[in-house]
Amino acid sequence: MSEVVQFNYSLLVPEYVLAVTAGVVLLADAFRAELKLGRGTVPWMVVAGAVLTVLASIVTAGRTGEFAGLFAVDAFTTFFRVLLAATLAVVVVGSHEFVTKHIRHQGEFYTMLVFATLGGTVMAASRELLTAYIGVELLSFSLYVAVSLAKRDPRSGEAGLKYVLLGGVASATLLYGMSLIYGAAGSTSYGLIAEHLAKDSEGVHMALVLGLAMVIAGLGFKASAVPFHMWTPDAYEGAPLPVTAILSATSKAAAFALILRLFAGPLLPVLRDWQWMIAVISLLTMVFGNLIALQQTNIKRLLAYSSIGQVGFMLMAVVTMSDVSASALLLHLGGYLVTNLAVFMAVIALYNQTGSEEISDMRGLAESNPYLALVIAAGLFSLSGMPLLAGFTTKFILFQAAASGGYLWLVSIAVIMSTVSLYYYLQVVRQMYVLQADGSLIDPQSPDVNGPRWRLTATGYVVTAGLLAGVVFVGLYVSPLAVAANRAAAALFS
Amino acid sequence: MEHFLGLSGVLFALGFYGVLARRSAILILISVELMLAAVSINFITFATYLDPERFTGVIFAIFAITIAAAEVGLALGIVLRLFRDRGTSNVDAADELKW
Amino acid sequence: MLSRLPLPPQLDRTITLGAVLAVGVALPYVGVVLVLAAMGTLSVAAVVFWMLAAIIVAGACGAVFSNHVVHAALSLVIAAMGIAGIFLLLASEFLALVQVLVYGGGVTILLLFGLMLTNATEDPLVTDGTQKPFAFGVGLAMGAVIVAAMVGSTWRAGEPMVVPFAELGVRLYRDFGLPFEIASLVLIVALVGAIAIGRRDQDGDVS
Repeated sequence: MSEVVQFNYSLLVPEYVLAVTAGVVLLADAFRAELKLGRGTVPWMVVAGAVLTVLASIVTAGRTGEFAGLFAVDAFTTFFRVLLAATLAVVVVGSHEFVTKHIRHQGEFYTMLVFATLGGTVMAASRELLTAYIGVELLSFSLYVAVSLAKRDPRSGEAGLKYVLLGGVASATLLYGMSLIYGAAGSTSYGLIAEHLAKDSEGVHMALVLGLAMVIAGLGFKASAVPFHMWTPDAYEGAPLPVTAILSATSKAAAFALILRLFAGPLLPVLRDWQWMIAVISLLTMVFGNLIALQQTNIKRLLAYSSIGQVGFMLMAVVTMSDVSASALLLHLGGYLVTNLAVFMAVIALYNQTGSEEISDMRGLAESNPYLALVIAAGLFSLSGMPLLAGFTTKFILFQAAASGGYLWLVSIAVIMSTVSLYYYLQVVRQMYVLQADGSLIDPQSPDVNGPRWRLTATGYVVTAGLLAGVVFVGLYVSPLAVAANRAAAALFS
Repeated sequence: MEHFLGLSGVLFALGFYGVLARRSAILILISVELMLAAVSINFITFATYLDPERFTGVIFAIFAITIAAAEVGLALGIVLRLFRDRGTSNVDAADELKW
Repeated sequence: MLSRLPLPPQLDRTITLGAVLAVGVALPYVGVVLVLAAMGTLSVAAVVFWMLAAIIVAGACGAVFSNHVVHAALSLVIAAMGIAGIFLLLASEFLALVQVLVYGGGVTILLLFGLMLTNATEDPLVTDGTQKPFAFGVGLAMGAVIVAAMVGSTWRAGEPMVVPFAELGVRLYRDFGLPFEIASLVLIVALVGAIAIGRRDQDGDVS
């Protein structure tokens, strides 16, 4: 205890804001009758908290440092704080209608989303294994609860059960791996681990490789990489739609934040021991995710498998770990988040109207609501990597980084799989634009088959339009996001 | 020291076998608990034998035990709810989604 | 006297099985360990370790192989108590205490309540699935790999050191205060979540 431990509480302001938001929301919902709050107040409190968190992270971005050697605040942390809190705000704005209709325990539900975001920021900021693990558990526990909270839908509890049991196994595996790394390095602090592993890890090599494999398996589960993805389609389908959006955005981003923190920091000295494992997982993930996506009929399951495919692409950048590829990964993560949220928010708006998740029920959408069809189509095209949209630019930079890292074979498979993904995205677009509700080709003479035209709610318009603008903006003018990603990646390696 | 680690390895593998072989949600939970117990043996062994600071592993184990207990509580809540819907705690009965 | 008690037939079987295991496995095992100790090959600590290891593995096997849910839960307690003994052997009394309190008390009661509330004992489907042989293979392979890695590594082991109680508290609440606070949030999540999910809703909801 000779070293002086720094307790600089002002570094944690965004986390405080999130925690206080969660507490206030929980209490406000519990005492809603006494406080005479309307049903719409609670979601706006969450949005206010999330926006405050974004502002606090940006304002305090200049104050970098470490909290007690456990928690680092640097450009990387700020990047994820902003990303995750903004995701929370967008999801809540875009889905408050859905939640009012389908979720009984609103306060608890929103609290879980806020805590999931908090867990994600803790994972992104961790400088030590214990803090990272607790962050992982906070994120996972909140999501276990959120997945099972749609009590009117029997699929929700089932998805929750599968998620919690498999998640328990995954965190036990992750923890066992962490314990082996602790044993091999004699410390849980990232800095000391890197030091010890760089010096000498010959004697404990076997245990170290086993530990790495277990940590990769545990984190691969959280990021839903094949073969640890079994929970993903079920949890995505069974969860209420906003939670599916959070699962595909917050949970993935946080998992990648921790993967970057771990593999670019303490585990970098043993690069050769884990590089091949991640390469294999990346390959399996992109191939299986994209191939299985081809046969899905439910839009949530389709998006689940397509997101698995995306994870495969992102893992490529982990294989060729360097500041360039880390920056490309962060950039792609940002682009993916914006695009994915655009698709999800549009699907939520569609579900509010039609109450169906089947892709075949999206027929004729181009006639009944051309705007929404446009948003979904643009989002899907961006996910598949069409030029002018976010997905193209960020994916291009990602592939380039991986190729310059020397993994050309992996990149060529990624390009093939990217083409495959275009096929199933186009299937959805075809349902919307080419077919009418009764399955016939679109015929302007008989417009009533598709039902009357309907309009989105005001918040639905605002949120989808904002995200659509984001998708196009990142696609055309990528440099602001790229600068942020570069800075974050530089902080990671400093 | 290798003895303790070997014991924890055996426990972890037994727990993993249980997770794969069992079909009742509660029995799967019990198996997960075994895996987590194996983890805490590991942490304490490393803390006693080779951590010059001595504490980190012990503290890690305390957290692992806490989280494990919380996980049981949460998972049982979900099991309970599924039981009310379906009348069984068997994961095979949870077949509405493709497993 | 004993024969007149209305014992259910499966209890008879349990007692017989227990006796067979005790005579067939436990007695020879204890015998071998004690003989080795008497010959001076094993130290006292090693004897204690091997005894505890036997208890733990037996408990774990019971928890994993038993077809009766309550037996499995109680076997978990046996294993957990054995692990508490291991912690004592590793000179961390505090952890041994925590282990007894949390596993022996909390987790077991929780599991038994879960069993009671879901009538899992009457569930005809508690039998294991068809993938048992596969699971056995995977488990065996996994155990072999882990044990090989553990025993095959040369750890930089120093002398075992006692973890002082007071200093542990200082470290836990001062240096690791942040994870501690986040852990409290995790507990809130578990608590609120378990209540919100498990609660039976008043109106005509599905659950």
